[in-house]
Amino acid sequence: MTGASQASPRRSRIELTVVAIIAVILIVVLPVLNAQGAISNFTLGLWGKYLCYALLAISVDLLWGYTGLLSLGQALFFTLGGYMHGMYLMRMIGELGQYKKPIPDFLVFLGWERLPAFWEPFSSFSFAVVMVFLVPGLLAYVFGYLAFRSRIKGVYFSILTQALTYAASIMFFRNNLLMGGNNGFTDFKFILGHSLAEPATMRGLYIATAIAVVLAFLFCRWLSRTKFGLVQQAIRDGENRVLFSGYATMHFKLFVFVVAALIAAVGGALYTPQVGIINPGEMQADKSLEAVVWVAVGGRGTLLGPILGAVSINALKSWATRAYPDLWLVILGGLFVLVVLFLPGGLVSIPARLKALWGKVRRSPEKPAAAASDTQPASAKT
Amino acid sequence: MLPAFMPPDPMMNFLARCLRPLACLAVIAGALAAPAEPARQILVRAALSDDAAQQRELITSLTGRADAALVALLEAWRTDALFRYAPAEGTALVVQLTGPKDDEGRQAAVRIDTGAALVDAAGQPLKLAAGDLKAVEHTTSLRRAMKAVADLADLADPDPARRFKAVQTIGQAQDAAKLAPLQARLEVETDAGVRRVLREAIALVQLKDPQDATRIAALGTLKELHTLASTDFIKRALKEAEEARNQPVLTAAREALRAVENHRSFVDFFGTLFRGVSLGSILLVAALGLAITFGLMRVINMAHGEMIAVGAYTTYLVQNVFGTGITLPFFGLSLGLPGLDLTGGAYQTYFLFALPCSFLAAALVGIGLERSVIRFLYRRPLESLLATWGVSLVLQQAFRLMFGANNVQVSSPVYLSGNWTVNDIIFGWNRVFVVGFAILIVFGMWLVLTKTPLGLLIRASMQNRTMASCMGVRTERVNMLTFGLGSGLAGLAGAFLSQIGNVGPSLGQGYIIDSFMVVVVGGVGSIGGTILSAFGIGGIDQVLQQYLPVVAPGLGWVPGIGGFLQNLAQDAAVFGKILVLAGIILFLQWRPAGLFVTRSRSLED
Amino acid sequence: MPHPLLSVEDVSKTYDGFKAITNLNFYLYEGELRTVIGPNGAGKSTFFDLITGRAKPDTGKLDFGTDPQTSQDLTLLNEYEINRLGIGRKFQTPSVYTEHSVWDNLVLSLKGPRGVFASLFHRLSSTDRDRLDDILRTVRLDAKRHWKAGLLAHGEKQWLEIGMLLAQDPKVLLVDEPAAGMTDDETDRTGDLLLSLAGRHSLIVIEHDMAFVKQIARNGVVTVLHQGTVLCEGKFDEVQSDTKVREVYLGRGKHGTR
Repeated sequence: MTGASQASPRRSRIELTVVAIIAVILIVVLPVLNAQGAISNFTLGLWGKYLCYALLAISVDLLWGYTGLLSLGQALFFTLGGYMHGMYLMRMIGELGQYKKPIPDFLVFLGWERLPAFWEPFSSFSFAVVMVFLVPGLLAYVFGYLAFRSRIKGVYFSILTQALTYAASIMFFRNNLLMGGNNGFTDFKFILGHSLAEPATMRGLYIATAIAVVLAFLFCRWLSRTKFGLVQQAIRDGENRVLFSGYATMHFKLFVFVVAALIAAVGGALYTPQVGIINPGEMQADKSLEAVVWVAVGGRGTLLGPILGAVSINALKSWATRAYPDLWLVILGGLFVLVVLFLPGGLVSIPARLKALWGKVRRSPEKPAAAASDTQPASAKT
Repeated sequence: MLPAFMPPDPMMNFLARCLRPLACLAVIAGALAAPAEPARQILVRAALSDDAAQQRELITSLTGRADAALVALLEAWRTDALFRYAPAEGTALVVQLTGPKDDEGRQAAVRIDTGAALVDAAGQPLKLAAGDLKAVEHTTSLRRAMKAVADLADLADPDPARRFKAVQTIGQAQDAAKLAPLQARLEVETDAGVRRVLREAIALVQLKDPQDATRIAALGTLKELHTLASTDFIKRALKEAEEARNQPVLTAAREALRAVENHRSFVDFFGTLFRGVSLGSILLVAALGLAITFGLMRVINMAHGEMIAVGAYTTYLVQNVFGTGITLPFFGLSLGLPGLDLTGGAYQTYFLFALPCSFLAAALVGIGLERSVIRFLYRRPLESLLATWGVSLVLQQAFRLMFGANNVQVSSPVYLSGNWTVNDIIFGWNRVFVVGFAILIVFGMWLVLTKTPLGLLIRASMQNRTMASCMGVRTERVNMLTFGLGSGLAGLAGAFLSQIGNVGPSLGQGYIIDSFMVVVVGGVGSIGGTILSAFGIGGIDQVLQQYLPVVAPGLGWVPGIGGFLQNLAQDAAVFGKILVLAGIILFLQWRPAGLFVTRSRSLED
Repeated sequence: MPHPLLSVEDVSKTYDGFKAITNLNFYLYEGELRTVIGPNGAGKSTFFDLITGRAKPDTGKLDFGTDPQTSQDLTLLNEYEINRLGIGRKFQTPSVYTEHSVWDNLVLSLKGPRGVFASLFHRLSSTDRDRLDDILRTVRLDAKRHWKAGLLAHGEKQWLEIGMLLAQDPKVLLVDEPAAGMTDDETDRTGDLLLSLAGRHSLIVIEHDMAFVKQIARNGVVTVLHQGTVLCEGKFDEVQSDTKVREVYLGRGKHGTR
């Protein structure tokens, strides 16, 4: 579970095979089925959204599951990524907006005649892509530097990241920020010259998202097997001891924090064109916490857990908000309490738990402890 | 005290309130010494007089003494609705006709001199027809005199607050014609607040005077009074003096303006200070419960905000039970709660009952939460954070289903909805109350923690849970009660916050981050730190809100984002809040563990 | 007289009014094995905290290095910088990475670059592996190299931490109560191990177990701390017969502060 240097090669092979199969299904099979009409555009769109959220979940898990940093600000980085890409998409609307003006509608509405200077370069896709990485990355770097330098950790870190997100969200809600205020960006028309109304464009975006998820997964898998991964998990379990082993934990945490922000930002950047809207509602503290729920339900400190959690909880949400609109929050909240209390290992720990249970039933109940201690995931100290 | 003098309008001068008993005494004393002829009788004399000059004189003598009722009579006179009635025997009377006309066009009549109904010798109401009577006559010059009296009627209003307003209005119009009545009024005025505003009004009128000496004297008065309302007039006088190159007036105007500006910054400063203290108190009240659950127990209760909401909704319920009852959506069941149908003073006491109810309701919900979820998560702060967040979602939705998704209306009792103005600084009663309330709660909490057996057990268990339990302390129970206490305090906060903000399902969300910030900055586990940081954050926030709009327009020079900063400063509240949060992050660079540090010896804490 | 490797001069440290260390003077020479004893609350652990940067002294100087030109002021450095200078510490309560395997614990401690990117692209060389194998045999955890460290017995954790210290190969080893929780036989072996390290390394060992102290302090100097300052310093026998020391140890009821 921890440093994979101890995982047996056989298990590792099985794991990779499973991942490869899932990757092929996500990247190849689903789009092909969609192209042939077996899967509706709507369903594929939903999956695209789930996978964007999976990227957000991976970033939460990288911090929380592997480094012990419960960040409640990942939704902020996700949304910032979305906004940066959204600015490009807004420029691509051209004069097709409601007001038929060369600048975005909300600016016309606010009484602007010309494009504000900082909007200008976003007409370039490559500039927007750079900003998708640069803005969230820089924010994560500055905030992380300040937080880690003064050794803020544990719940204090969580609360501060939440405060950061809160501050940013009230700022983005204001029209004066010139980022669309309450309504954010929407009504996108084109991306790189392709119409967003075309199923083929959406399919392309979906495939890009699936590839990004697989790449993020492989990156995290690789990271967890390096010595960096060992240090990272050591920080989670006993940060002060790591300091006394000569590691500048601050640098490690900062690196992870920035990387996680970038992963979240990519998720956001892919989310915007697929869902067709980005607004400050996405960056509220609640959204970050929701992402934490996905990870907790899927299984934190595992590689597959966050993806599994993000997809399953969001699928549940899609269904429940239609079937029981009044009860969705109760379901989400209740689920969360139950998982924290009774299934700290999340969904991915269920097979191991069942195996342990089965072993207990089959064998005499003499030595259940050995089986359990072997298979249970590392219950990360928090 | 005389009920007639009770102010219907709470917008009144604090000093005036204090001085009113004296003023009353003076009026009564004056009345006893020389019983003046009632204004009504003067009017009647004027109406019956045949000499136009005498009539005018009599009417003008009413200046500054005429109240609204008298003005109505003057109006009646002017519109030919006052009649001369000469009974068979006795002197002529002046009457007014009221009520429905009967078949012969006759109406009931009222005597003007006494205000009583006109009766015949047998004491039966006498009815008269307008056509049979002669209306009291009036000339143009008389009408002018009447209008002058009517215009100044409010100057003699028995309510000092209305006199105050009337004088203010006259002063700001700078009408030289009103100067004499103002001066006349100043002679007889006894209310200190009204006297002050009279002097201001006279000075303002005199600013228009052609004589330099008068203007300089007026400016001297204004300098002495340095009221904020006079600023614009002094500025105008200054400009005129500048154009006219009138050096003496210019100097006087400058001095007066400086006095007013000084006063303004004084008012701004103390107003900001007061708002900062009251915001600090709000933060403190909201954060105190958290200081216990988070500070002492190290439980991150994300549902703390919902505990506040429980308190606020309890207040809402108590209010409605005291009133006419209420029907709640209550999970689609439409639950009807009967009301006690109380009114007036009895109804106003609802808030006093709501306080303990809010405490108990939130404490019970908190104890339920502790028993069902939190007790499994001690020593796992991040998990408790997540689980309680789940609880907070469930509770928010429960509020929605029980009370509806919209904000509910909680009305403030009268004793919380007025304000005092001292020296131009406005003190809202609810804000004053929250400050006192915060002090009370802190004191109460201090008593509980230091003077009661429960407090001793709480402190012992929080310092070393294992040791306390070894010493026979039932830590389970103590945990439960401590959490109940923390939640109850949140409930009290909710009862209070219901008076100054909206009550809705997401009420708690607005306070949770601020509360956590207060506790973190204060130093977790330190109640003293919580108090200090609440006032610090509250004060800084208000200072930023006050001075950002002043400073921000000058930020245009900042390279690249100058225009952006200028732009944002229009939202001083939001921008100030963001600056406070940024400030907190920087503050934690300097003191990572907050203002007051509680130390630990273990390697990983 | 050579220049000391570690010189502690006039150091004081107060915690909330409690004087943990008062005007402490202490010199450690290269290759020396110094034993520090003292009753509870004498300030022994605080002394280590000050050297390793876990606490900063209120006053005084902590210099590290035999060359006065290049010696470093430890008060200006933080924990990891001090560690990188070559000062390693074994804590009083065994602190190992409980969720990591025994092997990974050693890998983390292994001498080598400690930066972020060095860790990302770090590969164990065969010499590294051999060294770690050696250490595992020395601390007799060879068979449990894949065990999660948290599952080890108390004594084994002590050994693992000593192994981690060895892997790090520091100039100065600060060893806080190494024999706690060990059997007599293991205690004996620990003593031998520490003695064998002296010479190539410098060591400061805090210990309560007098038999163990007698074993390791054969040739070296024993420092007695009392109420945060040096009560007496000398050979084991001299210290043992010192009347002040006897008084402190026998009649220490009245001084027990923590």
